[in-house]
Amino acid sequence: MAVKFDLNEREVWDGNYAASQALRQADVDVVVAYPITPSTPIVENYGSYVANGYIDGEFVMVESEHAAMSGCIGASASGGRVSTATSSQGFALMAEVLYQASGMRLPIVLNVVNRALASPLNVRGDHADMYLGRDSGWLQIGAFNAQEAYDLALCAFKIAENPSVRLPMMVHQDGFITSHTAQNVYPLSDEAAINFVGKIQPIDDMLDFSRPVTYGAQTEEDWHFEHKAKQHKAIMDSKPVIDAVLAEFKELTGREYKRVETYDMEDADVAIIGLGTTVETARVAAKNMREKGVKAGVVAIRCFRPFPLEEVREALKNCKAIAVTDRSSPGGAMGAFFNEVSAAMYTSTNRPIITNFIYGLGGRDFSIAEAERIYAEQMAHIEAGHITTDIQQFSGLRGPKLGFFRTERS
Amino acid sequence: MAITSIKNLKEFSTNNDRFEGAHTLCPGCAHSMIVRELMNCTDDNLVLAANTGCLEVSTAVYPYTSWDTSWIHIGFENAATAVTGSEVMHKVRKRKGTLKDNDAPVKFVAFGGDGSTFDIGFQWLSGAMERGHDFTYICLDNENYANTGGQRSSATPIGATTSTAQAGTHSYGKKEKKKDIVSIMAAHGAPYVAQLAPNKWKSMAKGFQKALETEGPCFINTVSACCTEWRFDPKDTIHITDLATDSLMFPVYEIIEGHELNILYRPKNVMPVEEYLNAQGRYRHLFKPENKHVIELIQSDIDKYWDMLQRREEARV
Amino acid sequence: MSIEAQDLDLLANDNRGKHQLEAGFDLLGWDEVTQGSVLASFEGDASDVAHKKSEERTYSNYNSYTATVASWRVIKPVYNRDICIDCQNCWVWCPDTSIISRDKQMLGIDYDHCKGCGICVEVCPTNPKSLLMFGEYSDLGESLADWPEKKKKEEK
Repeated sequence: MAVKFDLNEREVWDGNYAASQALRQADVDVVVAYPITPSTPIVENYGSYVANGYIDGEFVMVESEHAAMSGCIGASASGGRVSTATSSQGFALMAEVLYQASGMRLPIVLNVVNRALASPLNVRGDHADMYLGRDSGWLQIGAFNAQEAYDLALCAFKIAENPSVRLPMMVHQDGFITSHTAQNVYPLSDEAAINFVGKIQPIDDMLDFSRPVTYGAQTEEDWHFEHKAKQHKAIMDSKPVIDAVLAEFKELTGREYKRVETYDMEDADVAIIGLGTTVETARVAAKNMREKGVKAGVVAIRCFRPFPLEEVREALKNCKAIAVTDRSSPGGAMGAFFNEVSAAMYTSTNRPIITNFIYGLGGRDFSIAEAERIYAEQMAHIEAGHITTDIQQFSGLRGPKLGFFRTERS
Repeated sequence: MAITSIKNLKEFSTNNDRFEGAHTLCPGCAHSMIVRELMNCTDDNLVLAANTGCLEVSTAVYPYTSWDTSWIHIGFENAATAVTGSEVMHKVRKRKGTLKDNDAPVKFVAFGGDGSTFDIGFQWLSGAMERGHDFTYICLDNENYANTGGQRSSATPIGATTSTAQAGTHSYGKKEKKKDIVSIMAAHGAPYVAQLAPNKWKSMAKGFQKALETEGPCFINTVSACCTEWRFDPKDTIHITDLATDSLMFPVYEIIEGHELNILYRPKNVMPVEEYLNAQGRYRHLFKPENKHVIELIQSDIDKYWDMLQRREEARV
Repeated sequence: MSIEAQDLDLLANDNRGKHQLEAGFDLLGWDEVTQGSVLASFEGDASDVAHKKSEERTYSNYNSYTATVASWRVIKPVYNRDICIDCQNCWVWCPDTSIISRDKQMLGIDYDHCKGCGICVEVCPTNPKSLLMFGEYSDLGESLADWPEKKKKEEK
């Protein structure tokens, strides 16, 4: 039995601490981890809960992130609750095994504290690591502050382990801005938290010797496609489960989360759509713009995978100009998020103007003033009836203005 | 611990195989002899893991598995980590009482070829050994990347020709000596480390049982003669392995707690290594006059190593 | 030795070797393949599998026991019970789990899983050998009739 951990109704936690408390309250059996800035405190704290008897689990610090996820896979295939955390280069080193975890349908929860990918080396937050995981077959959900990092980590176990889902899930938070900023967090009691998350139901349990199972069989051209299709279908089908878990969480806490969040969108002509801490900045800018008479709104993708195509279309259905923000170096293409939002809007009856902003790389601040400038630019597009700038622009960059591609619409 | 009787082969043969046929390993492959013997050494529940390699691609090709026990393959490098992840989960679930059969004894074993053990999975193996998990790692050492068509690994002996260390008019094959994996593993402080050979079935079975019984991380390097890449007739696998152990190319020995070395097989008549080399196509070029010095070097290295083993055994270090 | 005594299906499960390995079984659609490509080796409770002979087990169709590699063979080992001393050399060194031994007795060969490597013949210590390789399509009775005589020491 674990020693009781005293909690106040209101705590002052940073995102890392909040996530680690969720791991403790979810009674995670095994954490296999390797430290990397800025996610290290999540697993360090779990280790300290084990060391001090606050949880009956095992903390294994291995020799690399690749081994961390490998150990998580072995542990998860053995029927218990498993979680870990990583960032950036560690995430990249894990990449091979991320695909294995999802292909084996193992409900591991990975807390990703987003950080840029080298080179050049950078420890600050951008979404390069998150984007690297976007085809990995994991569910991906984003927390924009410490409270959400806590809430969504709890929800993630319940979603991932749902027998009809059985997929691993990443809970993202922005490096430093969320992970290292102490904020008010209202935790659940231990009892309420574990009652909400529930017990894990082992499926294809390697430690159930009445039914020996083989994990990781090879499938060549006769079988691989069917397995990947089945996995993709499961990811697509997870949407109602995610919605139901988030709804149940709202019942319990009053805190409401949706796969796509909308702020001031009821009558918005212009919108910024983004992820992470940017959302809170954009919300302030939108309020300021409204005071100036611009009908500005914000759309936030909370659930990056499965991509909420229909919900994005619904949220932007009356919008005239949309700025899609990508916090990851696109490497010779349009931002991935821009492409996905554009695909959603191309199949809508409303074909709004859509532009792409690459911003905030390596932790570069995204200011309220810059968000306001982007809104103003959207208004100019609407007035002209077409995109008046480059379709893709770099925002907040020093040096000559950097942008690419012009519209052919007039 | 329920180990099975290995008093003699007749007793041993009463065990029920848990490694099934119709896997797709080459006819005459020694991998499956070694794996069968490991699985027949105990009737405990087993959680097995395999690195990518011949064993893995031949025994779990969807929709078939040749494994009658729990088995997992993740990648080329991480079987040791996968199986120790399971070992850790077993510890927690046993403590919490959430296992289906909480009292059933379980053994954790990882398999890797020499490529995954000596090269790509070396770090993962080293990490798992250092962490002291209760598991056994068995390397099926056929001295090359046989699964991908016979490339050199750091287990390939000097003088062997492989597709990436070829013998030719200007080369006698691989230039570098084999990595001494047994010493490296013993240096990890592993409680039981051994090099075993399937032709010496009893010492192999005893070694396997010791490893399974010993708490903590154990490592065993097994000689796995590869008819395809060593180039000999599949029927001769045991014969070639006899030559390997009798020429002392593969000495059979164990190291307990890093300091107690025991030689487990001492050939009555030690064979010149030439006979071992001459029986395999991969060494044929060494018999050209210009390459004779390589054979002499191999023989002299064998003699020195054997001398070292004997002196260590005598000195109990 | 009678041919009937080598009726080896006697010790086989109903589903031994019923699938051609390469042909697989019916190719299933995405909605029918197993979740996570996980394969269960048995049907029903297999807790005691280590203490059960293969003919007593309930192998699932995913177990390679139910597949055959007989087509790999061009030559096959033939077993002569009359000479065998049940040393079990062939059992311990068979790479294909194809020597059927029960109660310390060698009974014969599992031709669904034997690939014809010939190791069993090489490791057989009797004189003449109790296992010899014959052409895949050779007749068992004729093979046994053709069995060589004991070799004298000097001829060895």
